[in-house]
Amino acid sequence: MMKWAKKDLEQFVKEKEYIDTLFIPLIPIHTSIDEKMTGSGFQAELTNLFSRIIEEQFRGRIVLAPDYYYIAGNAEAEVDRVNNWIDSFTEKPFSYVFLFSFDRNWRKSESDLRGELLWFPGLRHGDLQSTETQSFVKEQAKEIVEIIKESWQT
Amino acid sequence: MSEPKKVSRRQFLNYTLTGLGGFMAAGMMAPMVRFAIDPVFKPAAAGDFHSVADVKEVTNEPQRFEWEVEQVDAWYESTIQKTAWVYRKEDDEIIALSPICTHLGCTVDWASNEEYPKQFFCPCHGGRYTKDGVNVPGTPPTAPLPVFETKVEDGMLYLGEEIAR
Repeated sequence: MMKWAKKDLEQFVKEKEYIDTLFIPLIPIHTSIDEKMTGSGFQAELTNLFSRIIEEQFRGRIVLAPDYYYIAGNAEAEVDRVNNWIDSFTEKPFSYVFLFSFDRNWRKSESDLRGELLWFPGLRHGDLQSTETQSFVKEQAKEIVEIIKESWQT
Repeated sequence: MSEPKKVSRRQFLNYTLTGLGGFMAAGMMAPMVRFAIDPVFKPAAAGDFHSVADVKEVTNEPQRFEWEVEQVDAWYESTIQKTAWVYRKEDDEIIALSPICTHLGCTVDWASNEEYPKQFFCPCHGGRYTKDGVNVPGTPPTAPLPVFETKVEDGMLYLGEEIAR
């Protein structure tokens, strides 16, 4: 998928007819309570890992939006703004929009979102370099890849 | 019997000073010359080979192998993961293909589409390639998959540069 960077977006502008999918990572940030703060840092890094894998796999058809950060705890209040992001691509609306998050609060508002929610239970804490985390990421990424492929086929 | 030539004090000083000056000039020139032609002696980065797998693991069926390379740009030094589809031809030659679709850069899979079990398939726009990496006419890609330089040493497979075709 194409990143939100000059070189990639230049390619997007040129090849628009082939690129019909938008991928937005939704990342909550905890700003108080030490433990939650470090935990949300870990989740943000984890989310970035997934974005990178999906990007490598599908860079010719997906645009990766910049990360959507919000203060954790009130995902419902963010629904309008997320929808605004999606709707703002007016010149050539995307046929497929995926919203990727480890924050389970989005599930309550799933039906109000103008995109398909890809929610996965993440890992609370861990070490990105550990083989345990790496195999978790690889397995989950495979699932996401399959879900995206299936959506395209229908 | 001829007498050995006498060297005057003046001549002796002249010789030694010229000699010394010569040494000093050479000492100064050497690093400059070295600096000027240094790139010639550096091993070409383009020729880097990376150990990827035990050759025994390579079969007639294409398999994915991964390895890591260091990449440096103006700001970051990072480790990037590289992948190749590797198999052994009937005549034992090892082929390593880049998995990057030549259309828009998605990652192609071997035999991932049930309708085309003996081809590489790109999930993004349905681009297809035959086993030797040549694009199937009528699908979006316009060029074959690049091949990696290969070499085998001590039972290990090494891959080098990608060569576009």
